[in-house]
Amino acid sequence: MLELDGITYRYAGAPRPSMHEVSLTLADGEVVGIVGASEAGKSTLCLVAAGLAPRTVGGSLSGRVLLDGHDAAPLAMHQLAERVGICFANPATQLSRVTATVYEEVAFGPMNLGLPRGEIIDRTGAALEALGVADLAEREPARLSGGQQQLVAVAGLLAMHPQHLVLDEPTAQLDPAGTQLVAEALARLAADGASILIAEQKTDLLAQICTRIVALEAGRIALEGAAADVLADERLTGLGVALPGSVRIRRLAEAASLGSPQRDKLATALATLDAPA
Amino acid sequence: MTDVALESVSYVYPGSGVRALDDVSLRVAGGEGLALVGQNGSGKTTLVRHLNGLLRPSAGRVMLDGADAHRNTVAQLARSIGLVFQDPDQQIFAGSVRAEVEFGPRNLGLRGEQLRVAIEEALEAVGLAANARTNPYDLGGSRRKLLALASVLAMRTPVLVLDEPTTGQDVRGVEVVRRVIDSARAAGRTVIAISHDMEFVASAFERVVVLRAGSVILDGPPSVIFAESSWPELRSTFLEPPLAARLGAQLGFQATPTDDALIRALAQ
Amino acid sequence: MAALVVTLAAIMLSGVVAPLLLIGVAVLLPAAVAGVVRELSRIALLLSLPLAISVVLVNVFFFPAGETVLLRIGPIVATAEGLRFAVEILLRLAAISGAIVLFYLSTRPGDLVIDLEARGVSPRLAFVANASVQTVPTMVERAADIAAAQRARGLDSEGSPWARVRGLLPLVAPVVLGSIAEVEERTMALEARAFTRPGRRTLLWRPADSRGQAVARWLLVAALPLLIGLRAAGWLAWLG
Repeated sequence: MLELDGITYRYAGAPRPSMHEVSLTLADGEVVGIVGASEAGKSTLCLVAAGLAPRTVGGSLSGRVLLDGHDAAPLAMHQLAERVGICFANPATQLSRVTATVYEEVAFGPMNLGLPRGEIIDRTGAALEALGVADLAEREPARLSGGQQQLVAVAGLLAMHPQHLVLDEPTAQLDPAGTQLVAEALARLAADGASILIAEQKTDLLAQICTRIVALEAGRIALEGAAADVLADERLTGLGVALPGSVRIRRLAEAASLGSPQRDKLATALATLDAPA
Repeated sequence: MTDVALESVSYVYPGSGVRALDDVSLRVAGGEGLALVGQNGSGKTTLVRHLNGLLRPSAGRVMLDGADAHRNTVAQLARSIGLVFQDPDQQIFAGSVRAEVEFGPRNLGLRGEQLRVAIEEALEAVGLAANARTNPYDLGGSRRKLLALASVLAMRTPVLVLDEPTTGQDVRGVEVVRRVIDSARAAGRTVIAISHDMEFVASAFERVVVLRAGSVILDGPPSVIFAESSWPELRSTFLEPPLAARLGAQLGFQATPTDDALIRALAQ
Repeated sequence: MAALVVTLAAIMLSGVVAPLLLIGVAVLLPAAVAGVVRELSRIALLLSLPLAISVVLVNVFFFPAGETVLLRIGPIVATAEGLRFAVEILLRLAAISGAIVLFYLSTRPGDLVIDLEARGVSPRLAFVANASVQTVPTMVERAADIAAAQRARGLDSEGSPWARVRGLLPLVAPVVLGSIAEVEERTMALEARAFTRPGRRTLLWRPADSRGQAVARWLLVAALPLLIGLRAAGWLAWLG
């Protein structure tokens, strides 16, 4: 379990804190989505959850980050890396650039951990399978598409066997094909019981995989609850968050004062499209 | 109003020999609004770089107002074609928002009052008027993207080309981009945008061109491009029609590429 | 290792025949084995061309001890001795650049670094060496993209020298600023993979190092002082 307890965080040199009194729990096996306008604090939350703020990024933190009830503060960055993995939006900067193949790239983390060779091989194989990129094992990481690079990045994190996975807008820079690849992979991980904290603008994606959603505004939690509830909440647009397609269209139908037979037809059509192919 | 056209343009990358554009002919009339869609690697960026001379065709011609553009330098073409790159950090070099926006128009020779007005209007259009003295790197990534947009808007080119303007933007950012496109069109400027966001494309543009492996496979209004008959072509290049189009097809409607079109069809 | 020895050997040998032999044996032969003769010639030529041209010009025309005149262009005289000297230097230059390029072409950067690390060099140091090399092509590409973006905003890259100097800031600043921004992200990504963990890493494999290679290495190292000794004793004059 990953817990943020009353976190207030200010970047070094910033006039105001980027996060105010934020408390959030990510239980094992939960998938929690973070939404909000740009600069509402989504990235900051991800950095704090993964321990990079304040360790690498600097700044001042008050409140506690707890891992399974224990304060994470005394842990060094490399110790945290084994418990919380973090994936960023830019696929290219996450490549180590010192590996010649995807296999070595995914093995990079376990190698750094000094694990025995056999263990590294097991973990790498499993991670490649989990992300569906086993057939890319011999390829050069730099020559993959953005979507593929993101999958490799997540595989590399999984190979560290973290308890929780934090993703900061993983599909922001991907084309629709890449977004689809990553979304499906995440859905599979979630279905297998992974603990995921994911910040995204693409609420359609979150609607697919999240159990809970937290909406941020100016560094504070503005909305929180079951995914379907939050995504249908009236206040979401006011917070700068795009509504999922189905909610948006339903709203428009209501605003246009369509009669119930039409709205029902709409609802049926929506249900048909949402149903698994 | 400036017309741009590609006539049988092919482009082969010198190093890799990859044929990024294959005999592409495209005519964009002055004042049109066109969205260019396609997978990464389909040739979209290569195509738009031909418009301002950053790339020169291996075969074929690029025409600007009926004249071959091959003898114009990039700096000269920048007077007609304003290209906003996808990554704002590829261009930001100034210490303040204002100085960054000033660069383009100044290069084009604007001075004094004209320059001042151009900068102010551009900043206003993207909502950065209050941040004129802010250091660009103190703005978040999405606002830096809007800054890049402003810096090209201020150049007041008759043709505006936007590479992925809504990527990484939240709802408000997308609204800003929409308003900028609408005002530009209202002022008679041609707007060409590369985008992955099919919903945005369907609602903001009257013409959509789909590229696949360097060739145009579809070219028409959203109602045709996102109609069911075009779906196989779209899907062949990993593009999905907007939700409204899919719902409309499900409900037996003809062509409902946008939410509004769907609601109107339902209301009848 | 081989590159180093060849370079030093080339510097020491004089005359025409010796460097030719050296090139033949130490550079072209391994290159043929590795199948990179064409590429090696191309790169080596490109690299040494500027230097080669100036060497030829200076020595052919301005060689002090020249007497046998070949060509006369006004007050400037080309001599046979100068020509011969220039050729000697060119050959040594060819040997050196050939060796260096051979090293570059035949070694995978990753291999070298892993080998160093296995022999006890700190992984972080090895990483820096490796990553720096890999960064160059990326930075070059990025610089080109930046130049494109600024030209699209009317930056005149074809104007007066003064205009070009003014144009430097918009070209250089984004490279620096972008790199700084990128460095922070890269660092975070690396730390997320426990890169900063103290102590040794497990290396999955080591570059193949046969007995033969080890023997060759020692021979090379021994050859150097031998060459020096022989030259000093004047026994290599026949190669001149």
